[in-house]
Amino acid sequence: MSEQTGKQLSKEEKDARFEAELLPVLAPLYNFAYRLTLDEDDANDLVQETYLKAYRFFDYFEQGTNAKAWLFRILKNSFINEFRKKSKQPAKVDYSEVEGYYNTDDVEGEGGVATTTDMRTESVQDLIGDEVASALNALPVDFRTVIILCDLEGFTYEEMAKILDIPIGTVRSRLHRARNSLKEKLEEYAKSMGYNS
Amino acid sequence: METEFTEAYQRTSAEGRETECEKVANILDLVIDGEASTDEQHFFNSHIEECVSCFESHQKQKLLKSIISGHLKRVIVPDRLATSIKARIQETV
Repeated sequence: MSEQTGKQLSKEEKDARFEAELLPVLAPLYNFAYRLTLDEDDANDLVQETYLKAYRFFDYFEQGTNAKAWLFRILKNSFINEFRKKSKQPAKVDYSEVEGYYNTDDVEGEGGVATTTDMRTESVQDLIGDEVASALNALPVDFRTVIILCDLEGFTYEEMAKILDIPIGTVRSRLHRARNSLKEKLEEYAKSMGYNS
Repeated sequence: METEFTEAYQRTSAEGRETECEKVANILDLVIDGEASTDEQHFFNSHIEECVSCFESHQKQKLLKSIISGHLKRVIVPDRLATSIKARIQETV
């Protein structure tokens, strides 16, 4: 809980600090938004909304603290609210309730990857990248989230707990299950490419 | 009564007999993510020196993490996003 830090900033100071401290997070933030929504327009809206909120509450942001974690947290909350509105789902779908749920059927219509592939390194690299992306995208959003926060953005468990509003123990178990799901998907792919475990 | 039996049974199966390999499996993510304590790290290191299957699962888990961090493409931020954020902020204040 951050207290308002006493003196009000002038608008110029506020704008300058906002640009210097928060705008550098734009790229990872947009990337996170895209991985959550899987849609460029939605990611755009979500990021804009996040920055508007951050600006509005900038007085509550303590200088020198973790700007990236703060913005990720705002974005994640906006995402949950937006998602709720759009999908008209029951008011609060608790993440933990959907944790065990994991749908293997709606994955990008199987057989997308040809089995006879040019094995030159660049194309293999690209292929791996695409396959990792689609395996990740096929995970439930809460699994996807922890993997991105941890493996891509390098947040600590403690930071993830704050961003997601869950205990560290839940971060750990969610990450563990997310990795297992991802591993299964990638192992299927490896087999289809002729690699055995 | 069954309670005594159940209690005794639970004690050995749930906590009593955690093998070294199970312990290692439980802290594998911590080790991969650099979140293990010094003690956990020591225990882990000395165990995988002599246990091939734990060594292999460690390799696999490390590989998975490096695939994500190394191969997952970052989407490119649209050019105008930063400008339109600044513009919207000026409009709303």
